[in-house]
Amino acid sequence: MSRANKTVRPKFAREGFFGRLSYFSARALANLRQNVFVSIVTVGTISLALLIAALFLLVYVNLEGMALGWSDKVQVTAYFDREPSPLAVSALKGQVKALPGTAKVVFVSQADAEKRLRSRLKGQESLLEGITPEVLPASLEISLDRSHRESAQVASYVSALRRIQGITEVQYGEEWVQRFNSFMNLFRLMGALLGSFLALTVLFIVSNTIKLTIYARREELELLGLVGATRLFIKAPFLIEGVLQGALGAVLSLLALFACYYAFLENAGSFLGVNPAAAGLCFLPLPHLAAILGGGVLLGFIGSLTSLRRFVHL
Amino acid sequence: MIQLHNVSMSYQAEIPALTDVNLKIPKGDFVFLTGQSGAGKSTLLKLLYADLIPTRGQVLIDGVNLGRLKRSQIPLLRRSIGVVFQDYKLLPQRTVLENVAITLEVLGWGKRDIGKKVFHILKQMGLEDKLNSTPLRLSGGEQQRVALARALVNDPKILIADEPTGNLDEENKEQILSIFKEANIRGTTVLVATHDRRVIENSHRRVIHLEKGRVREVTDVQG
Repeated sequence: MSRANKTVRPKFAREGFFGRLSYFSARALANLRQNVFVSIVTVGTISLALLIAALFLLVYVNLEGMALGWSDKVQVTAYFDREPSPLAVSALKGQVKALPGTAKVVFVSQADAEKRLRSRLKGQESLLEGITPEVLPASLEISLDRSHRESAQVASYVSALRRIQGITEVQYGEEWVQRFNSFMNLFRLMGALLGSFLALTVLFIVSNTIKLTIYARREELELLGLVGATRLFIKAPFLIEGVLQGALGAVLSLLALFACYYAFLENAGSFLGVNPAAAGLCFLPLPHLAAILGGGVLLGFIGSLTSLRRFVHL
Repeated sequence: MIQLHNVSMSYQAEIPALTDVNLKIPKGDFVFLTGQSGAGKSTLLKLLYADLIPTRGQVLIDGVNLGRLKRSQIPLLRRSIGVVFQDYKLLPQRTVLENVAITLEVLGWGKRDIGKKVFHILKQMGLEDKLNSTPLRLSGGEQQRVALARALVNDPKILIADEPTGNLDEENKEQILSIFKEANIRGTTVLVATHDRRVIENSHRRVIHLEKGRVREVTDVQG
């Protein structure tokens, strides 16, 4: 009897994409179980590395938020020679609101201006002798959108404002705006530099950790090749393992980050004399959390892929 | 049929591991490859499962020139060749069952069929009670039999073994050799590299003697 007749043709499993995926996933999970110590070390390293990056991101986001809060002071005041009639005021307000970048417009009449001055100089009323509301000009106080607070944008807004009939003078803290924008640019540059350095460090640590774990299992890779496994068959479970380790590492790092954040909120008041609620502290927004999770998955995948290229010679 | 035509192999320039080797091993043959350490036995075996490509000459298996195989075709070749490695190459984290099952998983067999087939071959090897043990808990002879089971579980066309009896006692050597003979009776071409003279003399099979990378002698003995 020939060999072909003797051998019972087995029922083939794992046909199609999902069949293969389920086999490779099962193999990856079994590998994680069988190499539990190495897996724990890898996941631990990934979570610590990502935690450092996430802490940096949390501090950066909060500092940026605080700094942007200061820019609320960017206000443009448009003065009138003569106080416009109530009808003209609403028309002017409409025109100003139509300018791109306008967030809020408040009309300050001559009487309101005088009231403000009096309240500011309370106790020194002698200085105000002879001052009548007509001396002080009526004005429009304009707040700008956060997206329109850069120096160049403010300048172009002001020139547009000057073109509106009736407005004779426009004032804004030009110097302050320039200084603030220089500070923000420097802050963002430092953030980008530090962030890039940190990202490279994380990439280096994670990829080397994965490389070491794959190096420890190079005999398995070699054997699979020698018994006739294809490149996909050898690599797929390792890549899934990398993705799972990356995802788990990222989730653990986010949990640890939340614990750190919560502990800070609890203790900041008593130890640092800071009121977290008043300081407007916030946790990382959802897109940032998703980016960290995606980063972990990508790190695991790319780390495994580059290491496998080195050890799978087929 | 295995054919080698003027095969030379060098790992480094000017240090040849094999020089002008010409061989024909017919289908279903049982051949011993002998020679001292460094004679080129392992190199020759590695050429047969395309772990190495000759620097000169041709290696053909059933008329297919291995030097012309694409990378993607090498796995298909290896699936028809069972290899027993000198160091066994068992995966220490996996059980005996899982170690043997690898060969069938690569072929895409279903779990149930793998279970049946692996149990069957391990029973033949007298290892059915070691299914769930890890290799490190087995003796040298048992590890060798697991490696043999992994090589034979898919009924390969060719079985290659590199020093399979090196570290075994006489009883285990006999057992391993009888497994080779049974596989050969079932139609598998068997090629065993060894420098154990007693194993060769007791087997009464064709012997290819290698010396410094050259074939010095081919002795035809039928038992």
